[in-house]
Amino acid sequence: MTAPQNRLTITGSIIELAQLRHTPAGVPVLNFRIAHASEQIEAGLPRKVECELQAVALGQTALLLQGAKPGDGTRLTGFLVAKSTQSKQPVLHVERIEFLEGSNHGV
Amino acid sequence: MTSPVLRVALDVPLPRGFDYLAPGAQESDVGRRVCVPFGRGEKIGVILEMLAASELPPEKLKPVRDILRDMPPLPPDWLALADFCSGYYQHPVGEVMALALPPALRRRNVLPRLPDRNLFRITEEGRRALPSLMQRSIAARLLAALESNGAMTRDELRAISAAAAKQLPDLLEKGWLQAEREGRNRKAAVGPELLEEQRRAVDFVTQGFGRFAPYLLHGVTGSGKTEVYLRLIAGALERGGQALLLVPEIALTPQLEERVSNRFPGARLVSLHSSMAEGARAAGFLQALSGEADIVLGTRLSVFTPLPRLALIVVDEEHDPSFKQQEGMRYSARDVAVWRAKQRGVPVVLGSATPSLETWAAAQSGRYTLLELTARAVAEAMPEVRCVDTRREKLQDGMSEHLLRAIAARLERGEQSLVFLNRRGYAPVLACPSCGWVSRCPGCAANLVVHLADKRLRCHHCGREERIPVACPTCGNQDIHPFGRGTQRLEEALAARFPQARILRVDRDNTKSQSRWHAVLEAIHKGEADILVGTQMLAKGHDFPNLTLVGVLNADAALFAADFRAPERLFAQLMQVGGRSGRAALPGQVLVQTQYPEHPLYRALAAHDFAAFAAGQLAERERAGFPPFTHQAMLRAEAPELKQALAFLQTAAEIGAGLATGEVALYDAVPMRLHRLAHLERAQLLAESRSRPALQAFLSNWLAAVRVLKAPRALRWHIDVDPLEF
Repeated sequence: MTAPQNRLTITGSIIELAQLRHTPAGVPVLNFRIAHASEQIEAGLPRKVECELQAVALGQTALLLQGAKPGDGTRLTGFLVAKSTQSKQPVLHVERIEFLEGSNHGV
Repeated sequence: MTSPVLRVALDVPLPRGFDYLAPGAQESDVGRRVCVPFGRGEKIGVILEMLAASELPPEKLKPVRDILRDMPPLPPDWLALADFCSGYYQHPVGEVMALALPPALRRRNVLPRLPDRNLFRITEEGRRALPSLMQRSIAARLLAALESNGAMTRDELRAISAAAAKQLPDLLEKGWLQAEREGRNRKAAVGPELLEEQRRAVDFVTQGFGRFAPYLLHGVTGSGKTEVYLRLIAGALERGGQALLLVPEIALTPQLEERVSNRFPGARLVSLHSSMAEGARAAGFLQALSGEADIVLGTRLSVFTPLPRLALIVVDEEHDPSFKQQEGMRYSARDVAVWRAKQRGVPVVLGSATPSLETWAAAQSGRYTLLELTARAVAEAMPEVRCVDTRREKLQDGMSEHLLRAIAARLERGEQSLVFLNRRGYAPVLACPSCGWVSRCPGCAANLVVHLADKRLRCHHCGREERIPVACPTCGNQDIHPFGRGTQRLEEALAARFPQARILRVDRDNTKSQSRWHAVLEAIHKGEADILVGTQMLAKGHDFPNLTLVGVLNADAALFAADFRAPERLFAQLMQVGGRSGRAALPGQVLVQTQYPEHPLYRALAAHDFAAFAAGQLAERERAGFPPFTHQAMLRAEAPELKQALAFLQTAAEIGAGLATGEVALYDAVPMRLHRLAHLERAQLLAESRSRPALQAFLSNWLAAVRVLKAPRALRWHIDVDPLEF
């Protein structure tokens, strides 16, 4: 059996950005949402794709994101985690973030 | 000739006295401290009695090392008080005395020297003798100094000659000197005009001077109970008596001390509490013992102060749980005070706006005389109490829009608000939303509380402390959250909401030292805070003239607690905290946030109707057979494992069942509510009777058998007579 994998890279623009907060131990945390849009090939035919995804960044990554504003394009790499024990909705925990120039990247 | 035998009380967990030979002992040594050999060391004890012979063979008796005659003997009534407590609370008499004596007197050390206030004067004989004395002799110099100065103290005479102290007894014997008490003016300064009800209360108690008479002074918050106490103390002092004023832990403030000492500028006031320096405590105790002190003001332990001229006992805020000791001998200072008043034949006044139901029932039945103060002394009216229904409203940081608007209005008018939340810390628990981990205390059946300011998790039961973890210890998630709300979080929320306001948090974390606590009170009085965020610390007895709003959060939990005393405590707490509002010229308001605005407790609170609340509670207790309609004692055991504690109590219950008459009921051994504390598991067993004497008789037989029970080494047990906590 192969080791379980959980790695996702996705581009999108920031649509909501919460206030920077800190964990009780003092680690910065930033919750945000991105909207993704692209064209993908499905069963041999191209199609348009849109989705929204909750994301969170901790530590240095959170500080990096602090200067961002809604509309900014990003490429995010991270892993998916259930939101809580009550809600199994996936949240992208971002490890790497790149800000993309212009507005037509994945938007 | 055989040597007399002394029976001595020693601080050891055995319920008996110890006999020693004491060749030089006299009957007048009873009540003195004595140093005796014990085991391989020595101990300081108190002489209980002098016997012609011991029941033990003489060769088994050891001689005492030293009878300590450096202070007056403890008087017979004090020994009787210790003996009563030992019997009633089922505690070895030596341990009772060890608790009642200041720590410095439990050791063989030099006693603190009291400032000697005797005044010496030269007599006619002294004047006649003076010319015949050698001019340079010490006696002549002392007499000459007295002749020219009139009266002098011992210390002043010592300044004339270092040998004065040795000469004085001789000069007194010859009749050349006389000693007199410093002329003290015990008169009270003029106080404010009394209201009619206050005057009636003062007159009533004043008639009772010189005999035992218990009173309940039931006065609404701000009705001027303290003024009544001061008048009564004045009466006691006028009769040449001493007054004992007992106050709850937290109420002993410099303001109160100042108020008493300003009223009695010439009297000697002694303050006693457990956080005092040992020397000061011992000095205060000795001043009381010698009859030097006129007024003793103190917390529960001062009920054991020897007072040869005792004329009056006052217990302020008599309902306060801090009068009940929760470790060692679990005595109630209020109940001991009543016994002591009876023993000494003096009046005792129990004062409160929210009397304990025990005291209230005694007043209703006529055992205690009820004195009512129904009007506020300074303020026009009682504060308006309103319930804010939180079922219909979305709360913001735990606060309703109604409350927030009321705070904003006070800010605008420059008045103070108090938001009351009886939970200190930032949040009651730290939890991981990913995996469900919560910050449990490893030693207790309780959660570790988040203290964000210093990044610690603390157990409020055992005191365990650790750093807030960076990540969830179970799953590694760093984004763990504080859940719920304590005073620190409330303070933070109020600061965000009212950035212009000066916010002061008042809880145990923020008032760790006495000086810090006093500084906080001072700041409130000076108006240096606009919004106070506080726990029950602020509920008691304080007068904040500019405070006109009290908001109460999270009160509902106590409505449904398992402890039958929870409603009584909640009502008292809310009435007391609400009573901080509008005590001076400004009208006050109290907003209680609740999901049960129709609850009878809140209705009685809004109507300021203690009598209605108490009647309802007493009816319920009578139906259920709870105190004051029954009398209780709790046997508690703690051990590394719950089953050990339960097994011990079960055996005790079986023994008890064989001893109990029909008048005493024994319940099952059950785990305590906080069933694990500091790595020990705890269980309890309740004994109950409608007759106090029957319960007492049962307890002494039962505990004699329990004391010799075999138990695991690590098991500890104790008895709590008239328990308050379940």
